[in-house]
Amino acid sequence: MSEMKKLYEIGNRPREVFLSPDGHRPVHKSRVPFSRRHWLKWRSQYNPRSLKLEKRLADKKPLWWLLSLGLLAVVTPFLSNSAITVASIFCMFAAINVLWTLIIGTAGIFSLATLAVVGVSGYAAAAFNVYLGVPWPFMFAIGCLTGLVAGGFLALPSTRLDGLYFALLTLGIVEICRVFVQQLKSLGATNGSINQVDSFIPSDWFLQREGLLLGFAGAFLLLLGALLMFKLVNSERLGMLLRTARDEEAFAEAIGIDYRRARLMVFMVSSAGLGIIGAFYAMYYRSISPSIFSLDQLLLLFAMIVIGGIGRADGAVIGTAIVVLIDKGLLDLGPIRILLVAAIMLLVTLLTNNGLVGARDQFRNFRNRKKSEARARRTEKGGEVMPEEATDMLDKQEIFYRRFNKRLRDELKQLITPELIEEHRAKPLGRHSDALSRVLNYFRRSEMPDKYAIMRQPENFNHYKIVALSGERGAPPRLVDDRLYESLDEAYHAVFLLRVNDLLES
Amino acid sequence: MTAVTLIHGLNLAAIYGLMAIGISILWSSVGMINMAHGATFAASGYAAWQVSLIAQPLINTWFGTGLDASLVMGATMVASGLVAGALFGGLIFMLAYLPIHEKANFAVRSLIVTLAINLATVQLLLFFFGPRQRALPKIFGFGRTEILGISVRNDQIGTIVATAILMLVVVIWLKRSRKGLEITAMMQNPEGAVLSGISVRWTALPVTMLTGALAGLAAILLSQTVFVSPTAGALPLIKGLTIALLGGLGSLPGAIMGAILIGFLEAIVGSISFLGQRYVLFSQFLFIITVLIIRPRGLGGLLDETRESRNV
Repeated sequence: MSEMKKLYEIGNRPREVFLSPDGHRPVHKSRVPFSRRHWLKWRSQYNPRSLKLEKRLADKKPLWWLLSLGLLAVVTPFLSNSAITVASIFCMFAAINVLWTLIIGTAGIFSLATLAVVGVSGYAAAAFNVYLGVPWPFMFAIGCLTGLVAGGFLALPSTRLDGLYFALLTLGIVEICRVFVQQLKSLGATNGSINQVDSFIPSDWFLQREGLLLGFAGAFLLLLGALLMFKLVNSERLGMLLRTARDEEAFAEAIGIDYRRARLMVFMVSSAGLGIIGAFYAMYYRSISPSIFSLDQLLLLFAMIVIGGIGRADGAVIGTAIVVLIDKGLLDLGPIRILLVAAIMLLVTLLTNNGLVGARDQFRNFRNRKKSEARARRTEKGGEVMPEEATDMLDKQEIFYRRFNKRLRDELKQLITPELIEEHRAKPLGRHSDALSRVLNYFRRSEMPDKYAIMRQPENFNHYKIVALSGERGAPPRLVDDRLYESLDEAYHAVFLLRVNDLLES
Repeated sequence: MTAVTLIHGLNLAAIYGLMAIGISILWSSVGMINMAHGATFAASGYAAWQVSLIAQPLINTWFGTGLDASLVMGATMVASGLVAGALFGGLIFMLAYLPIHEKANFAVRSLIVTLAINLATVQLLLFFFGPRQRALPKIFGFGRTEILGISVRNDQIGTIVATAILMLVVVIWLKRSRKGLEITAMMQNPEGAVLSGISVRWTALPVTMLTGALAGLAAILLSQTVFVSPTAGALPLIKGLTIALLGGLGSLPGAIMGAILIGFLEAIVGSISFLGQRYVLFSQFLFIITVLIIRPRGLGGLLDETRESRNV
C-alpha cells in the first residue's frame, strides 16, 4: 500500500471532514428525548479504497443553525441600543416568517393574512389587558387562542379557493381588519391604536438598555420556539401529508390523505403561534397600531420570504435578516432603502430558482452541467468509466470490466475488413480464420437484451426472419426488420452483418 | 338610486374596468399577474403632468386659450398617457417577461418581479418628484351639462365616453387586426397558438404595451377627479386586481361585469349617509369574498378550462 502512486483529488471527497472511529467499539448515538430521532445525522461507511471505517456528518445544517443563532445571542448584548432593537425586530419578524413558511411553503397556500393574524391577536391581547385588566402573562394565552380561532376561519376557504383567489381573499381580510380597527369609535381618540399596554418589560425599564435586552431575550426565545414548531410540523407526519397534497389534491385524496383536515391543522397550529407573536408584539412596543395591517408592511414581509427562498426555514431567516438590516439598520438612507430591497428582490427572482438558499444547489447543478458538457466535448468515452463517475461506483469490478470491454472492441474494430465479411458470407459455420473466430467469440458473449436471433416463419419451412430478444422473462422478442431470408446461411450472415454494424457504431 | 349615483357609479366602473381588463388580458394571454399595473398608472400620470408643464405655454401661444386650446391639450394629455403607459408596459416586458418566461414557476416569479418593479417605481417617483400631489389640467373643463334632465359633471361624461370608445376600439382591434387575432388566440389556447406558428415572445410585447396603455389612459381619466401622487397607483391596482379576479381571471365580459358591479357598489355605499366613503373598501371586499366563496372561480368561471396549467 505504501508505494501506491499519488491519487488525483477529484470530486468533493477531499474537502469532506471525516472522523475515524474505532471499528471495534459499538456505535452509540444519543436520541432527542421522547423521539426516535438522533441529534445529528452521522453516517458510517468504509472507504472503498483504503477500507478504513470513516464517519461523516451527512447534514451539516444543524451546526450552521447553532453557530449563527449562538453568535446572535452572544454578540447582541454587547451592541448599541439601536442595534439591539434591530436584532429584536429581526427575531420577531423571523419568527413570523418561519411560521408563514409553514403555510406558504409546506402547505403551498398563498395566504397573505399572516400579519393580519398577528395584528388581530395583538389587538385582542392588548384590549383584554387595557380594558379588562387581565395581567400580562395571560396575554400570551389570549393571543394564542385568538390566533387559533382566526386560523380556523382562514382555513375554511383554503380548500375551496386556490392560488391567487385565496391570496386575494386574504388581502381583503387584511384590508377589512385595518378599516374595522380604524373605524372603531372607542379607539377614535388614538387613531386606532391601543397604548399603555402592560408588558413583561417593567415600565421603568422601557426603552432603557435593560428593557431592550429583556425584549431581545424574549424575541430570541420566540424565534427558537417558531423554529421548533417549524421542525415539528414540517418534518413530521403533518408536513409530509401537506407536501403530498400541495401539488395535486385529487391524487392526495385518492391515496387516503385528508388534506382538508391537514390544512386546517397547519393553519390553526401556525396561527396559534402567530397569535403568541402578536401578543408579544403588543407587549414589546407597549402599544399596537393599525400600521401592522398596512399593505407596505405586508409587501416588506413578502420581500423577506422571497429573497430568502420560499419553503425553507433558513430561507425565511436569511431573507428577514437582509431586509431588516436594510430597512431598520440603514435608516439614514431614507427612501433609497426600499429601492434597495426591491432591487435585491428583482435580482434574486431573475437569477435564482428559489431564493438565496437555493442558490448553492443551483450553482452546483450549473457547474456539474458545464463540467459534463466540457467532458463530452473533449473525450471519446466509448463505454469506459470516467474518473468522476468512478468515485461514485460501489462495485469497482465494473470499472475494470468496462475498460476491458472498450479496449477489446477497439481491437476488434481493426479486424473487420471486407475480406473477413466475405469469408463469413461464404461459410457462416465451420472452421474460420483467427480474426473471424475472435470476432465471433466476442459476439457470442454479448448480453441477452437485444441479442439477435433467427426465427423460422411458421407458414413456410424455409423462410426466416431476424428478431432481437428482449432479455426480459415473459417479454416477447421484437422483429428487427421485415426482410425474409430464404436459407439459414443467409440468415446467419445477416445477423453477423447486424452485429458488425453495432460493433462499428459502438 | 339617484341619477347622480348612477353616473358616479358608471364613471368609477369605466376607470376600474380599464385597469381590470388590462390585468385580465395580460393574465390570460401571457400568464402573468401584473402587480406593476399600479406603477404604470402612477408613472403615466407623472409623465402626463410633465408633458402638460412643457406643452401648456406652447399650446397657449399657438392656439390661444379658447376651445381649440383645451381640445389640443386634452388630446396631448391622452396621447402622452397612452404613450407613457405603453413604454412602461415595454419595460415590464423587458424585466418581468423576457428573462424568465421560459423558466419554471413563471407565474409566481413574474408576480414577484412586477411587485418589485412596483415598489421600485413608487420609491423612484417619491425620490424625484417628492410626496406632493400634482394636478393635471382639466381636459374636459369644469362645467356641468344637462343630459335628459340630469345635471352631470363634464369630466364624468368625458371619462365614460372616452372609456367606452377606447374599449370598443380595443375589442375591434382584438377581433379584426392580425396582431389582435394572435393575442386572442393566445388567450384562448396558448399551446394551440404556439403550434400554429404564433410567437409567444413577440405576442407578449404588444400585450404588455396595450395593457400599459390602458393603465395610462385610466391614470389620465382618474386624475381628472383625484391628484397624481407616487402612491396613486396602489388603490387602482388593488381594485383592478380584485375586479379581474371577481370577474374570473381571463374573462373579458366577467371583468366588465365585475367593474360595473364594483363601481356601482362604491357609488351606492359612498352615497349612503351612515356608511360613507370610509366603508367603501370594506364593503367591496366583503362583497368579493362572498362571491368568491359562492363561485370560487369568479363570475366568468372559465379559468378551470383555460388556465389549469398556469395555476399559481
